[in-house]
Amino acid sequence: MIRAVESWICSLLLGTIAALAIVSQAGAATLKDAAESYRHYLIDDISQALAGACALREHLIDHDLDGARKAWIAARVGWERSEVFTSGFVPELDQQIDAWPDASHGFHGIEAMLFGAGHTHVAAETDALIAHLADLRAQLDHVDLAPQRMLNGIARLAFEIGGNKADGGESRLSGTALNDLQSNADGIALAYRVIFADVMEASDPRIAAAVRAAIERLQAAVKVPDLRKLDADRLRADSEELVALLQMAAPKIGLNKPTLEEGAR
Amino acid sequence: MTQYAKRWANTLWRSVAVTAAVALLLGLPQYATSFPIDGDQAVLPAGSELNEDAVYVPHEILRSEYRGDRASYVVALGDLAFNSPSILGGVARRAGISCGTCHVGGANNAKLFIPGLSTRPGTFDTTGALFNPKANNHLFDPVRIPSLRGARYLAPYGHDGRMASLRDFVRNVIVGEFAGPEPSPALLDAIVAYIQEIDFLPNLKLGARGRLNDTASEAERRGEVLFAKPFPHDPNLSCAGCHPPASAFVDHLQHDVGSGGLHKTPTLLNANFNAPYFHDGRYDSFDRVVDHFDRVYELGLLTQDRSDLVAYLRAVGDARHPFDSDGVTTRFKGISAFSLLLAQAIAVRDRGAIDLAVDTLGGGFRELAEQFPDHRDTAVTGALAERRMARAAAKDVVISLRRIAMAVSADDLDAAAAEYNTYYELTFSKAMPLLRGAEPWSLFNPAIRAAHDAERQRLLRAPAQTQR
Repeated sequence: MIRAVESWICSLLLGTIAALAIVSQAGAATLKDAAESYRHYLIDDISQALAGACALREHLIDHDLDGARKAWIAARVGWERSEVFTSGFVPELDQQIDAWPDASHGFHGIEAMLFGAGHTHVAAETDALIAHLADLRAQLDHVDLAPQRMLNGIARLAFEIGGNKADGGESRLSGTALNDLQSNADGIALAYRVIFADVMEASDPRIAAAVRAAIERLQAAVKVPDLRKLDADRLRADSEELVALLQMAAPKIGLNKPTLEEGAR
Repeated sequence: MTQYAKRWANTLWRSVAVTAAVALLLGLPQYATSFPIDGDQAVLPAGSELNEDAVYVPHEILRSEYRGDRASYVVALGDLAFNSPSILGGVARRAGISCGTCHVGGANNAKLFIPGLSTRPGTFDTTGALFNPKANNHLFDPVRIPSLRGARYLAPYGHDGRMASLRDFVRNVIVGEFAGPEPSPALLDAIVAYIQEIDFLPNLKLGARGRLNDTASEAERRGEVLFAKPFPHDPNLSCAGCHPPASAFVDHLQHDVGSGGLHKTPTLLNANFNAPYFHDGRYDSFDRVVDHFDRVYELGLLTQDRSDLVAYLRAVGDARHPFDSDGVTTRFKGISAFSLLLAQAIAVRDRGAIDLAVDTLGGGFRELAEQFPDHRDTAVTGALAERRMARAAAKDVVISLRRIAMAVSADDLDAAAAEYNTYYELTFSKAMPLLRGAEPWSLFNPAIRAAHDAERQRLLRAPAQTQR
């Protein structure tokens, strides 16, 4: 039964992504409008994660471990880019999809089997992942993308990127912790550019330039070939300076200082 | 004891406290089974264990505390540097390793194990290739990690006593063994000053001149007599000859006791907590140490003699309050000392100390935030709102420290002083109560820590299965 539903979800998916491609960004006069225009990017990223999960499921059916691993890695890109949104707006689904450390479900549970144990017996977990991602995708049409909460999400993720990855990070079995960081940084850059950059530029060009430069530094800091090549001290400083700047910038555009945990004030 | 602490002790951790008390009475240090570092891209080899998740950490007493004083600026700076990875070289820094990683609270780290550098937990090859290829002597020759308690009484330094000067020894550890940048003379002085402040823990069984007092048992007294008795085949020798009780049980000399070469006499004070024993950590108990001397020096000890000697060693090696529970209170002891130092460093415009304090405190608060799991951790379900508030508050402290650093790098020390006031307020008025309030649902709670580690264990050690 579940498998039939997942098949249906997956078969609808290509059409959805094609439809998204023709949606263009409207000129954003206010933060609320700008946040609205971010919705399409968010839907695109979660759809990409969902497509990856569907591809993963096909490879499981074929007992194709190598293909399944590649599909898992591909599915992570859109997911990690959306973390500016998921962690704060949909924590329950975030736990279902990206629990850590939890070997029983979600991306990391599947990772443990595909990359750690080296087998493809994760059909049930993958079906659940597809169902949760599809649930999330459906919610994205209506969810209120409040600018304050988006700024909180950006600041929270900017802080998280600066954390110590000396132990190999979260996606250590697949060796993709660095990819996670890069997608996180890209997700921050995307959400900031689409939602806040123009309004900030109009309000305070000096601080706008500083935030933009800090985001670029963060993206540059994670563009290394290997997790071990990260300059952890530099990355932490870049991460914290970006958060500090966002905290200074928020009042300039009529927002509160972003919290570093959703729901904490 | 605060109301909070009473409630804490009486409810949540009662069973743990009892277990710990029993273990300590038995003279066995009790640690949680913490989880090793792993992963192909980890800085340290897979299977490395730094024991950073230990539930109990060695208690530390500085000489100034006996005087009822705060540590001086220089000692606090040394303490800070001792616990800062940034004074060491790249590999240690990336792995978050500082002097304090091996010498926790100035003592040792009996569980530290790095594959390729350790033969057994609590040993480490300081001349291996990982931390400084230039220091590699191409021998796998780990030595036990010594406690630094009472170091000022324990010259010469190094397990073989090769260095008379503690300062030279410390410099060699930083620059030679861990490839750190050359420390400034002032910083090196500070680290040495701190190490010289680390005291032995008080031992209620010892009186003047290292003699047992009247609380000692019969067996311990018989052991004390045997300890001073000349060896049967060489009346010039006795245990106490090399371990004179009146001078911290050391003679400051090197001896060959049949363990392979000359090694300096180790102190026996607080030694119950310094296992494993001998320079290479080959023995994990006093029984085996006594066996060794009995065999090598043909002492002809009877069963009773052996147990009496072991009882004596346990009495001499004891300490009141050897461990603290790791938790918010213990963490804030260090945070308070380093915060005071930061305020003083800003006032006297000591930029090196400001940078070190900001970096180390910030790293500490980041790590503290991670002790409070967020919604993604299924090992803990209660008090999510409280955990988030605690995490957010600790993270806000990190950012306030960064703002101090930004002010200093913009050459605006007045702004840095103002930011310090914000930092102080956020730390002690906001974060501390929130962290304390959420502590029962944090990884400082051994039950939650165990559930969390079990999940990690299952995740990272997923068993291979045959294809269905």
